[in-house]
Amino acid sequence: MRRTTPRNVPVVIATIAAMAMLCGASFPKEPAPGAAGSEPALRAAELKRFEANVNADARALGELLDDGLEYVHSNGELDSKQSFIESLTSGRRDYASTVADIESIRILGDVAVIRGTARVTVIDAGTTRELHIGYTDVWVWKKQHWQMTAWRSARLPDSPVK
Amino acid sequence: MNAMRPLLPLITLLAAPLAAAPRGDEAAARAAILQRFQAALHADVAGLDRLLADDLEYCNFRGACQTKSEYIGEVRSGVLKYRSIEPVVDRVKLYADTATVLGRVSVTAVRNGEERSVHLLYAGVLAWREDRWQLTTWTSTIVEPTVDTKSK
Repeated sequence: MRRTTPRNVPVVIATIAAMAMLCGASFPKEPAPGAAGSEPALRAAELKRFEANVNADARALGELLDDGLEYVHSNGELDSKQSFIESLTSGRRDYASTVADIESIRILGDVAVIRGTARVTVIDAGTTRELHIGYTDVWVWKKQHWQMTAWRSARLPDSPVK
Repeated sequence: MNAMRPLLPLITLLAAPLAAAPRGDEAAARAAILQRFQAALHADVAGLDRLLADDLEYCNFRGACQTKSEYIGEVRSGVLKYRSIEPVVDRVKLYADTATVLGRVSVTAVRNGEERSVHLLYAGVLAWREDRWQLTTWTSTIVEPTVDTKSK
């Protein structure tokens, strides 16, 4: 059997270190949210996002939405971050008001899930719709703040527009 | 080997990430989502129990949300019976101990005796617990069958 000699010890260590680094690199890790990403901070971000929708505030939405956002409206229409913001700034979609009721917030490390309901008045291509929706959205902790990466909603049975 | 002995603590330290390597990767997350569909289709209660997290929030396309026990209870009792499930996983993103899965699924199911076929865009959040991916959040929105997520 071949003996391990001091000469090849550095090679062994370098190999293990390289493998360790490769393994670490395969799991993207953001620094833990900590106090800056606590539940009140996430709740505030969610409310700020609804407000930004109403104000068509592209700058705020640019900060609050993840570049990989997949936003599925309650009518099944799908938006990316870019197309969602564009729909608001162009006036094609106008959120006249949104009153949200956050029912639960769960923080799972650097991912968080918010569930709630909202009463939304939206003017979509000139047509005003009153909606009562249930929603779930997913947030990720990036660059020391929360960003929403997925939105799914459904029109509740008592929604004025089904 | 004697020459290596003084270096064992260092080697152990460097190799620590290797010990954690079996943690779920993208393929495992994708598989967990697909297994969960299969388990639902076949009313495999034991499978669902393994694949669903205890703190699951399962929100269906009607906007109603259920706990793990409520959802499994419907499948077990036959209140909810799946006829067919055709899922597509569009995107998996890995985070520290979680993964998000976005995709599409066509479902035909009978609930309380009423059969309905729907096309959904779904989002799932998986948590890595007990050496496996567990679904901790499910939400979906009903869409028209012509929606193509790749082209938008």
